[in-house]
Amino acid sequence: MTPETMKLLAAGLAMGLGAIGPGIGVGLVGLGALQAIGRNPEARGAILTNMILAIAFAEAVAIYALVVAVVLIFVA
Amino acid sequence: MPKRGCLGCSFPVLIGVIVIALALGIVGLLSGELGKKLIGDVGMPSWLSVSAPHVQLPAEGIVHIGGFTITNTLLASWLSIIVLVVFAWAVTRRTKLIPSRIQSLIEFALEWMLNLCRDVAGDKNGRKFFPIVTTIFLFVLMNAWLNLIPGFGSILIGVDGERVQLLRGANTDINTPLALAMISFIFVGYLGVSAHGLWGYSKQFIRFGRFGKGFGLLFRGKVRDGFVGTFYGAIDIFVGALEGLSQIVRVLSFTFRLFGNMTGGEILILMMMFLVPWILAIPFYGLELLVGLVQAIIFGGLTLIFAANAVAPHEDEEA
Repeated sequence: MTPETMKLLAAGLAMGLGAIGPGIGVGLVGLGALQAIGRNPEARGAILTNMILAIAFAEAVAIYALVVAVVLIFVA
Repeated sequence: MPKRGCLGCSFPVLIGVIVIALALGIVGLLSGELGKKLIGDVGMPSWLSVSAPHVQLPAEGIVHIGGFTITNTLLASWLSIIVLVVFAWAVTRRTKLIPSRIQSLIEFALEWMLNLCRDVAGDKNGRKFFPIVTTIFLFVLMNAWLNLIPGFGSILIGVDGERVQLLRGANTDINTPLALAMISFIFVGYLGVSAHGLWGYSKQFIRFGRFGKGFGLLFRGKVRDGFVGTFYGAIDIFVGALEGLSQIVRVLSFTFRLFGNMTGGEILILMMMFLVPWILAIPFYGLELLVGLVQAIIFGGLTLIFAANAVAPHEDEEA
């Protein structure tokens, strides 16, 4: 296996495996937010704001994986 | 008689829009990379196809003054500063009591931001944190949205023999998010130290108190209390060190969150434009608009939350 092949394979694995956790995490945040809105529709504004915040936190981990993959393909 | 049904426009207009969209879609599909792989080279004129995107992570320098390089991302960040300052000056030149449309738009945005600051940090602290949080928000937002204007990255300039973009979105260079993260870190640290004093603020991270007390009890012969105190003291030391580490990791996290979102979005749009030139990039453009706004809110909002936590009185302090 040439180094070039290994780099591409590593980039694919990095992004693929690195998106499993954040995907589940964002789904859980959405679940919590929707349940909370269902219980208390009046608090919709506050719940949505906090949901966006929590989604960005969970998304950031997937973005770290993306940065690793991009560095592997274009820089290394 | 035109039927006013479909999406508010008359029926012939809707048919016209659908036909134009289909035509652009088919032309784009045939002249792009996806069409070439699926259908084969149909012989579209070469000016319709887009060359493969060449991604270069470090920013390209445009002008060298002495030892200092002015990169294209630096030019773009200056442009967004100029746009913000000129816009602010133009809107506040003649403020009326009953606001005009643009003034009420700006007032809505700033009031939303001020309410967010007050919600998170309380009334007095919210007003104190408002300038820097809103500045970070507006700067990141303007960087992200200026990058999406058609033609922003298309002005090419010849540098050292090769053609290089004149302007490149400032958030796609890792230096801008890093600088903003350092500003945020110093802001939060300064607030924490000025509210609790240097020793008071460092007490969060250096917690030898319970360990020392437990050890002292051990020496004095109270073995069981001594052991319990030492055990929990060791946990305290570990937690304090972890707290300190997380403060430093915060800088990296801010940087890579903003940089990764913006660079990933730009690569995504370039790839989509390469695959099917005209149609496929449109939904991703919308996504990029949303992501720019959300990342700006995240950066400002997280700075606000960490600052509010830093000045909050500790549980075991007499407030």
